[in-house]
Amino acid sequence: MKNLFSIVFIFCFLSVHAQENNPFPDSTFNNDLSEVVVTATRTERKIVNVAVPVNIITQKTIQQAASLRLKDILQEQPGIFLTSGFGTGVQMQGLNPDYTLILVDGEPLIGRTSGVLDLNRITTGNIKKIEIVKGPSSSLYGSEALAGVINIITDKTNDTKVGASVRYGTYNTFDGNITGSTRIGKVGMSAFINQYNTDGYSIRPFSVERSKLPVSRTTPQLQVSYHVSSKTNITISARYNYEYIKNELAVSNNGIVTFSKGREKNKDLNISPTLTHNFSNKLRSTLRLYGSRFEGSQKLNSSGGEGYDDYFLQQLYRAENQVDYSINKKISFVSGVGYVKEFVNSSRYDDKNSRKENVVKYGYLQTEWLPVKKLILIGGFRYDDNKVYASAFSPKIAARLNVSKRLSIQASYGKGFKAPDFRQLYLNFTNTSAGSYSVYGALEAQNIILVLDNAGLIKQYEADFYKLQTLRPEYSNGFNAGFTVYPAEKLQWQLNVFRNDIKDLIEARLVATRQDNTQIYSYVNIQTAFTQGMETNIKYNINHAFTVLAGYQFLQTADKDELKKIRDGNYYYTRDENNFSVILKKSDYIGLPNRSPHMATLKVQYEPTHQRWFANARAIYRSKWVVFDKDGNGIYNKQDEFADGYVQLNSSLGITVKYGLRIQAGAENILNHVDASNLPNASGRTFFGMISYGFNRSKIKQSL
Amino acid sequence: MMKRTMTAILTAGILFTACKKDDVSTPVDKTNDGTFKVFTEGKITTVQNLMADTIIGFAPTGQPYGANKFSFFSIENNSLIPSTDSATSRWDIGFKGTTIITNAGTSGPGLGGAFVQIGTFDGLNTISPDSTFKMDAAPVYAITTGSGKGWYNYDGANNLLTPLPGRVMVIRTSSGKFGKLEITNYYKKGVTPAASASDDEKLHNQRYYAFRYTFQSNGSKTF
Repeated sequence: MKNLFSIVFIFCFLSVHAQENNPFPDSTFNNDLSEVVVTATRTERKIVNVAVPVNIITQKTIQQAASLRLKDILQEQPGIFLTSGFGTGVQMQGLNPDYTLILVDGEPLIGRTSGVLDLNRITTGNIKKIEIVKGPSSSLYGSEALAGVINIITDKTNDTKVGASVRYGTYNTFDGNITGSTRIGKVGMSAFINQYNTDGYSIRPFSVERSKLPVSRTTPQLQVSYHVSSKTNITISARYNYEYIKNELAVSNNGIVTFSKGREKNKDLNISPTLTHNFSNKLRSTLRLYGSRFEGSQKLNSSGGEGYDDYFLQQLYRAENQVDYSINKKISFVSGVGYVKEFVNSSRYDDKNSRKENVVKYGYLQTEWLPVKKLILIGGFRYDDNKVYASAFSPKIAARLNVSKRLSIQASYGKGFKAPDFRQLYLNFTNTSAGSYSVYGALEAQNIILVLDNAGLIKQYEADFYKLQTLRPEYSNGFNAGFTVYPAEKLQWQLNVFRNDIKDLIEARLVATRQDNTQIYSYVNIQTAFTQGMETNIKYNINHAFTVLAGYQFLQTADKDELKKIRDGNYYYTRDENNFSVILKKSDYIGLPNRSPHMATLKVQYEPTHQRWFANARAIYRSKWVVFDKDGNGIYNKQDEFADGYVQLNSSLGITVKYGLRIQAGAENILNHVDASNLPNASGRTFFGMISYGFNRSKIKQSL
Repeated sequence: MMKRTMTAILTAGILFTACKKDDVSTPVDKTNDGTFKVFTEGKITTVQNLMADTIIGFAPTGQPYGANKFSFFSIENNSLIPSTDSATSRWDIGFKGTTIITNAGTSGPGLGGAFVQIGTFDGLNTISPDSTFKMDAAPVYAITTGSGKGWYNYDGANNLLTPLPGRVMVIRTSSGKFGKLEITNYYKKGVTPAASASDDEKLHNQRYYAFRYTFQSNGSKTF
């Protein structure tokens, strides 16, 4: 907190200083207020009229950072923590990757492993902008939009243009993009293809195992729109992503190393036809169909003889109609109904040929009301009726007051939920080696155990067996409140405080023990937790060339049951410096693991007006985070093992030569911070060079 | 002023000599150099690096193995007991990997027994009269084996074993007297390797017990 005040103080001081010497009184710095966002309300709104925290990443930001995959650019955003394990996931407001919905052009991406959607799967090559909405948005988007929503908006302009870029760097990392678009009469088209290859790397000394595996990814995207009339538009978008990962594993079990070789293939296809009709300038209807298919397969042959063959197929089909209606300038509505059918086949369930199915029917309604000029009130809800788990009701209210041109305040409350996933419902997994245990999904567990019991194979039922029932969604109550202030003309300061109370978290618990003492686990709604904290962002245009952006997040988390037991006393113990047992003090409690209490980002950008050069330096800081319950007391506390805090520094430099040709070079992780066990997804220092070319006929015409 | 300074110097001198005297009377080398050591300070005896069937090889399956022998210890005499005396009442407690035995039941001819109580070592002053001492009936032991069940937690992901904090073993010695014992570490030099340490380091430093205990020689249940 002290640090924050000093930052604020420094910036206040700088701003006073800047006002005195302001060489550009007509600065258009506040331009970004006219920025239009779509994710926060499911309809286009200026950011000044949005009452929830929204961060925008522009195409320019992505290009100047020369990001390749979605994770590259997200890690530089304030309040975002990237997790490793089952790919690279995103942690927002202290919540796990399972709780952030990831959309491409408003449609959800599927194919999560253990709840994680690997951010490496998404290329940044054709992203126009990324909108990040923090806090629950289930009132509009349903399941998974509990911590927030990341909406990737691809470039769909139909100007006649072509573009290409090639980037090459350390570890033979190649990234190439080709894009083109045009309009012929009423038909607009755009096409895009990205190819990404890397050799991967090993950051463990003397290890054949690659921390990052050799990967090849190909992503084509095609979009066709037909302008039926001035009122009606038809668009069809198709996106495909093919990922091939070469796998060479060395698993060491008690000193005996087993080598395995294999490959992993992931194919991801999305098609979304959309029909938009404007009945009048007050009433618009949008019919969206969406089909998505994710197929992942993994094959491993090992020197020990035992192979591994994993197959996963997820399909999602959705039909949705949304109506946007404004009664007058003060009151407007957004409402929709939808139907989702979802299938999964997996070798991780009883039989990969048996198709698991869920059906969701939903409806949502949101009202926006401007009772007086400076006040915006938003209220809405969504109801999701599910076939295989309990239904969910998600309300939301939000308010924004634009006090003056220099100050606005906002607050919101929303209920978020995450539906139980197929794994939690249907998993059928038995580990025959180490420890030998089984995990069964909640829909299957009771039946399987009863069958085993009838065969005389069950020794005893555990207490949690009697908690097995239809899984409920995991719920959160999320509060966000904050302000945006312009203390000086070129200074913007935003602050948001948040609190998420989560209940019914689904956890794997021991439910029964077999006669041979092997254990059976299943999923029950059990845990309650909270995350709370503060995020603040400062943007300061020092002069016509330099801009500084600083972000900081403070985070606290706790498992509520653990916290209560600590408060009640004499339940948890830890060890002192002599390894003697002592009662755990509340001040030593950490809460949920793998979360940094302090995270900061700092970006200094040099981009002189009327010049061709740009350069930037971007720093990411994470304070230490707890990774291992070293004292064995079952919870995370200061006596446990932590991963070291670190600073990652990235930099890039570029020049726009003539005719849309740009040359860029940069270095990432300049300080070379490597932590093989806790940051397997971060390589050491890397360098790259990049050339890109863009030809835009309409822009040339304008300049002529 | 001068007087006050003199008093201060004198006081310091007295204190200094007092401290020195104290040090001489208890020449305890508490540094843990990885060797087996037993030392007593007041009522409490501390044991470092008691090797309990340390790993000597690996089976073709990758399973590590030791010599499959218990290390026997006498709480009454503060010393290791040779394994040739395993069938006698000379020892009170034995260690082999994560298995801990007491001298009674299927383990030995003594009057021993034990149970695990939740709490701190210092917090246990009197053994409750209604407490029951369990006796070994192999393969079930008075000190339950298994992760999270008796005295330790085993983390399968990191292959590390941690004695559960807040567990006191209440021991009945082979002669029927009482002691309390706290296991403080399972690794050499009393240091649990980091989660990120190599398997090799984790395997070759494990099964080195560090513990402390108090023994009540008058036979009462109060320490």
